[in-house]
Amino acid sequence: MVFRVLIFGSLARELSCASIAVDVPDNASVRDVNEALAACHPHKATFFRGARLAVNHSFRSADAPLRAGDEIALIELVGGG
Amino acid sequence: MSVTVRIIDGALGDPAPALPPAAQFGAAMMFDGVVRSDEGGRTIRALNYEVYEPMASNMLTELGREILAKHGLVTIMVEHSRGEVPVGQRSFRLTVHALHRAEALAAVGEFIDRMKRDVPMWKTALDANPPGSS
Repeated sequence: MVFRVLIFGSLARELSCASIAVDVPDNASVRDVNEALAACHPHKATFFRGARLAVNHSFRSADAPLRAGDEIALIELVGGG
Repeated sequence: MSVTVRIIDGALGDPAPALPPAAQFGAAMMFDGVVRSDEGGRTIRALNYEVYEPMASNMLTELGREILAKHGLVTIMVEHSRGEVPVGQRSFRLTVHALHRAEALAAVGEFIDRMKRDVPMWKTALDANPPGSS
């Protein structure tokens, strides 16, 4: 399955994009997406491995399964107010 | 007891005059976040806010409910900007009504700390004099 992980804020500016495409197995979990992101950007692997991911607008555990069409967003480095 | 959340495009306007019946609260507190002209040593003209919806509104509502219950508030209202907010304008407003001052003060501090840590909103400083503008 291919997902486009949405990214925002300073991370989006640093990488000059609004999403990162990752290809994971059909039975992938949230953890697999973290690992795929780390593999895409090895210079930031530690950050991506520990990053909080939201699936369909809710935080999920690392073991939560994914389904095709899920909306995944990386929710880090936030700063409202 | 109520929680209200509003995401507003651009700067916030004047505060809404909505108040609970006077007999229900002993403390009314309003915190306004205002865009400063200095951001990390840079002179800026505005902040641009990204808000990931509906997750941000859902989390603000849930956080509001939790803070309201924990501190025994009467009402809590959250207003936050999306998009560009010029220097000197308001981008965030938290209004709480509580029985007593101590609960209101504690609630405002805790809400803002947790919002800044968890809620999917990001701000970008827009330089007053970006490179190549002169």
